[in-house]
Amino acid sequence: MADEATRKTVSEIPLLKTNSGPRDKELWVQRLREEYLALIKYVENNKAADNDWFRLESNKEGTRWFGKCWYIHELLKYEFDMEFDIPVTYPATAPEVAIPELDGKTAKMYRGGKICLTDHFKPLWARNVPKFGLAHLMALGLGPWLAVEIPDLISKGIIQHKEQQSS
Amino acid sequence: MAEWEEIRRLAADFQRAQFADSAQLINVDLVHVESRAIEVSKQDRGTHLILGQLIDKYLDQLAEEVNDKLQEVGQVNTAELCKTYDLPGDFLTQELCGRVGRIIDGQVDEFNRGVIFTQAFICRQTARIRGVFSALTPTPVSALISVFGFHENLLYVLEELVNSGRLKGTVVGGRQDKAVYIPEIYSRTQNAWVDSFLKQNGYLFEALTRLGIPDPVSYIKKRLKSSKLLFLRSACVGPEIIAQLEASVEEAISSQTWVDLQVVSEKFISSCMTLFDDMMQQKAQKQEVKNNPVFLVTEEDLKVSAMLESSSSSKKDKREDRRKKASGSGSLRSGGGGNAREIRIRKTKKKNRRDGDSDDEPDTTQRSKQSEVPFLPVEKILEVLEVKVTDCPEETLEQLAEQLLPLTLKYQEVIHTAFLSSSSSGSSGTRKQNVKDVQEEINNLYNNIRLFEKGTKLFSDTQQLMMKHILRTVCTDLTNILLNFMAADLMMATENPSSITAEVRMKILGKLSDETKAPLMKLHNSLNGKTVEDFLSSLEAAAEDCGLMLKKTDKKKEQALLLHKQALLEQLNVAEDPALILHLTSVLLFQNLMHCMLHAPGRCVPNIIGTLQPKLSEDQYKLLVQYQGLVVKRLVQSHSQEKKADGAEQGGEDSSAELESVLKELNSLSGTIKELVLNPRKPSTTE
Repeated sequence: MADEATRKTVSEIPLLKTNSGPRDKELWVQRLREEYLALIKYVENNKAADNDWFRLESNKEGTRWFGKCWYIHELLKYEFDMEFDIPVTYPATAPEVAIPELDGKTAKMYRGGKICLTDHFKPLWARNVPKFGLAHLMALGLGPWLAVEIPDLISKGIIQHKEQQSS
Repeated sequence: MAEWEEIRRLAADFQRAQFADSAQLINVDLVHVESRAIEVSKQDRGTHLILGQLIDKYLDQLAEEVNDKLQEVGQVNTAELCKTYDLPGDFLTQELCGRVGRIIDGQVDEFNRGVIFTQAFICRQTARIRGVFSALTPTPVSALISVFGFHENLLYVLEELVNSGRLKGTVVGGRQDKAVYIPEIYSRTQNAWVDSFLKQNGYLFEALTRLGIPDPVSYIKKRLKSSKLLFLRSACVGPEIIAQLEASVEEAISSQTWVDLQVVSEKFISSCMTLFDDMMQQKAQKQEVKNNPVFLVTEEDLKVSAMLESSSSSKKDKREDRRKKASGSGSLRSGGGGNAREIRIRKTKKKNRRDGDSDDEPDTTQRSKQSEVPFLPVEKILEVLEVKVTDCPEETLEQLAEQLLPLTLKYQEVIHTAFLSSSSSGSSGTRKQNVKDVQEEINNLYNNIRLFEKGTKLFSDTQQLMMKHILRTVCTDLTNILLNFMAADLMMATENPSSITAEVRMKILGKLSDETKAPLMKLHNSLNGKTVEDFLSSLEAAAEDCGLMLKKTDKKKEQALLLHKQALLEQLNVAEDPALILHLTSVLLFQNLMHCMLHAPGRCVPNIIGTLQPKLSEDQYKLLVQYQGLVVKRLVQSHSQEKKADGAEQGGEDSSAELESVLKELNSLSGTIKELVLNPRKPSTTE
């Protein structure tokens, strides 16, 4: 699967316990609570490691999430909006993170800008239901994808730095 | 609902965590960020800079949350909110108060600005207060607050209810913790009871305190202002009784008969009781003094009379004191009151008693010869009463005497305390100290014995002898200390445990409880055994049963050796007797050379020297042998001289001359012998 650094990052995210999705009323609250605790921990870890790379917030029910993620390439920051819904079958199914502004620009993406996660991710997630949460999704899903795709897209000239674009 | 709130809080935390230290992130110094933030907060009225956090719409959101909670619970406290939202109290209070009526549906407490509550909450509380206080007997309000969880500041509601007449009763004691609510019905029945009691019986007394009236005198004064009442020490008498009393006394005087005071005063019996107090004290002391010799046989045996004397004199002092105190308080009591007839009668009694005080002493001494613990038989009480209570018909006295029988119980108490105060000679604190001391002492001795035992093993021929010696001396001391410690529980302890003999030990053993008796008996028997090992093993068992701890400390061995040596050296320094000098010197030499403590009888000195020979230099050995020879010679001489003195005079002169020469030689050698050990350099050079 992922490299050593990712493995380490993931190992520092607290695992979740409650196996419940948005359809379960009270248990979902419990699950959401754990999601937040894990996310907070992950963000803190990132900041401590000087590797802060996303902002995330959710709607009141915690079913729809949106925010920004960025990637630094050659000292330039490339920032993208991202969004995803919690599937009704969550956590058995992993959420599909979408970066709409990259829709159509890369092959590793489904329609609507949903990123195409690696072959490794889905079985990994399936093995770890319900222990993996959104923090793990970020760390194992979106993070590696950005690390692979963005430099490639930049080198192909498909995306440009925003300031350079404007100038 | 509550869970979602937590989620909301968590989400906020998450946001805060994500945006924390943005200064670092954007690589701008905190100063600039702060100044900019202050600017922003100034320009935008809806934005605040609190604790380094820039807040805008969040406050409205927060107020909504607070409102949710308020509607649910009825009241919210800003102090709690501060904790949950992590914001300063003043700011939060201010912001929330500003939103009361807009976002928050409730009102702020007038007395305590930190509390917001709803009208419904007040209504609920009022209803509960009304309910609770309608169904009460007198109760401290503070207790109710804690039991029913009322809000303290809502007590004014109670006052309103009382004032409006909805609750019939009064709150006594102001608005403090002491406030007590008394329902009207309660005070009414109470008053009714007091009135009727007074009307029926003509007097009032302690029953009032039992009714729950804290200050009966002032209560009566307030309540029965109009009636003419006479206040006595423990009762309050109405005019009817006084009149009745006067009449009966007058009648008695005129008819020269006895007035049965018992009817008039129930206090009479107790006053008779006090008559005996003094006597009881004295008798108790006597009994205890008399009992003392029984328990402290050993003390007499050992003629430790000095201690006894001092203690008994102090006892005497104490007794005197007590008597003074008793009579002092007695006079004080009779001094009180004034025009009360009852008291006047008692006064004469007291006087009688004091007259009889002088012949009290021989009386009680006689009586104390009877050794049984019960105080006085009825007849005796009768006798005393006859003396004290003059001109009283005999039947009354008999009755009285029987009434006074409970004295026996009291007497036993007195005797007990008197006994404890003098003979146990110390509180539990000193006993604890004692336990510690005893334990230390026993441990020291125990370790010494073990070291001594090791020393004996270096001898083959005289080992038995030395063992016996150790058993007879140090081991016996240890046993005595242990037994004395156990005996202290039975008040049989002696001041000087070292002088306990075998018989005394048996005596103490006989009194001990069964659990401790067996091991201690074994210990005692092992003293007469042959080996120290037996003694040590039985000591270990016994100490455990006595609740003492034996520590086998090998660490302390060196220290013990040193201490022992020091003690011996000191002894040697002041020793004059040649035999003793030789004994100490040889033991010390042994310790120096063999690094082993030795505790041996004088008889073994030649053996010790013999054992030491290979380690000593020739000069030293010779010196010792020479000295030893002289000592033996002298002993033999003085022995034979004694014999001769009994028999014939002949030859006495030359033998005495010989003795003198031996003595001279001994004296001259003593110094050099002492040098052997007192000057440590010498042996070290020979080693």
